Amino acid sequence: MSRTQVSEPLESLHRESDPVVTVQHLVKRYGQFVAVNDVSFSIKEGEIFGIIGPNGAGKTTAVECISGLRVPDSGSISIHGLSPLKDRNLIRGFLGVQLQESTMPPRLKVGEALRLFASFYPNPADPNGLLETLGISHVKNSTYKKLSGGQKQRLSIALALVGNPKIAILDELTTGLDPEARRETWALIESIRDRGATVILVTHFMDEAERLCDRLALINHGKLIALDTPEAIAAQAGGKRVRFVPSKPVDDKTMYAIPGVKEIERKEAYVTVIGAGDLAASVIDSLTRIGVHVSDIEARGGNLDDAFVKLTRDDTSKVQERPQS
Amino acid sequence: MTSTLSDSKDGRFQGHFAELLKVEGKLALREPAGLAMGIGFPIILLVIFGIIGIAVPGNVAGTGHTVLDIYVPVIMVVGFISLGISSLPVTLVKYREMGWLRRVSTTPTPPSRLLAAQLTLNLVLALATILIVIFGSELVFGATLDVGIPYFVLSIVLSISVMFSLGLVVAALAPSQTIASGLSGGLFFLSLFLSGLWIQPATVGGSLATMARPLRPYFIRSSMLLRRLPL
Repeated sequence: MSRTQVSEPLESLHRESDPVVTVQHLVKRYGQFVAVNDVSFSIKEGEIFGIIGPNGAGKTTAVECISGLRVPDSGSISIHGLSPLKDRNLIRGFLGVQLQESTMPPRLKVGEALRLFASFYPNPADPNGLLETLGISHVKNSTYKKLSGGQKQRLSIALALVGNPKIAILDELTTGLDPEARRETWALIESIRDRGATVILVTHFMDEAERLCDRLALINHGKLIALDTPEAIAAQAGGKRVRFVPSKPVDDKTMYAIPGVKEIERKEAYVTVIGAGDLAASVIDSLTRIGVHVSDIEARGGNLDDAFVKLTRDDTSKVQERPQS
Repeated sequence: MTSTLSDSKDGRFQGHFAELLKVEGKLALREPAGLAMGIGFPIILLVIFGIIGIAVPGNVAGTGHTVLDIYVPVIMVVGFISLGISSLPVTLVKYREMGWLRRVSTTPTPPSRLLAAQLTLNLVLALATILIVIFGSELVFGATLDVGIPYFVLSIVLSISVMFSLGLVVAALAPSQTIASGLSGGLFFLSLFLSGLWIQPATVGGSLATMARPLRPYFIRSSMLLRRLPL
């Protein structure tokens, strides 16, 4: 491929309207097992795109196809108009990958690993600056085997970022980290996006996806079952939930008459209503008007966790209902 | 942006191989088990046979050589066996198993460069072994080596090629580090035996000599002692 041919698709790099990554009808099988089954989505420049799903759903396989580590059985993947397989060398120059379950030689030092990876890229970031940003400059001379889990993850992120990538793929980044380290890692992922890079985040933590991602692809049994913003997917679980204790019993009919209420659950003295809109306010307002006082009120917004459980459960029951052929 | 990407297409990363080699060298020094096998083992053998050569001077089986004279080529081959069959494949399989090769393959540098760096490092160690054994045996223990240079070089090249190729076959076939260690361990002792470390075909003769003749360690022995020994 000549230089002029190569540079043409790259001109789209700064055109924001064009997707950075386009995946169409991706299929990947391991023998009889279909790991990724006809998945299509596209990722916009500068967004944090989450790929979520239960363990073994095919998330990692999907991103491995994007990063060119696996060859899809069918379908197409385009990264800035380039193919991960045919234009492998070009793409690797601007794609940073953090792999799940990849370790380093135990006696390799942090500083050495980063310098080594910097030498692989045409336009690397300053290794020392990166260590500083990631808060691991104090372990620069420590060997890999002496690092804590959090420090290993940070080093892994540093290696993914040292090439100044336009696109960073981060796979199960916070698995095995303590809550504090997870929160710090989240801040870091946001800072990557703020630098102008596009982030593809693979996770099975719903709080992480909800907090960080601009858009989500929910994959279950290799199939894409939802593709939207975290809020929109959360709304599919039935939206907001308001739990309270009424001062006297209220029947279902009265409850359903309250604007926005779609579902009601009762447990002991607690009533939980599920619905949309300004739910808590309309519940308090409507019940006060008929002389019912509301106490112990607890409202939470659309929860991705609920949506996740609902969507994956629906999907699984559908799969089970299907007759064996 | 376009120009830097085009540069990467041309693969112009000066120094990434040097950096890989440097890192592999440092790792080898920090994990001295491989070095001890590759260079330490031949040195120990050199000292042992050197002392035997001094304690029991003279002529082995009417050849006009001391024990050390006969063992010098064997010691070199033992060094190649340690590096090529023991050290190299286990390291390569370890890198594959821990995901290090995969990690490197996500960068613009192909993982083959990492393998090449590891191979280069072991070749450098093999050369170091040759020099240590030649100078050590001559200067310290007074061995007399009657070497025909072209034969010697040819033999070294063939011997290293065979040992390293066997090691690479193990690395390619072994699915895990444990199996690699097992395979290379078996090959290690088999080739030590055939290298003549325990029994010299020259002194035994007969069917063992015939069996060992096509085996490559023999090349070095033949070339180094070509004019003196009826091998």
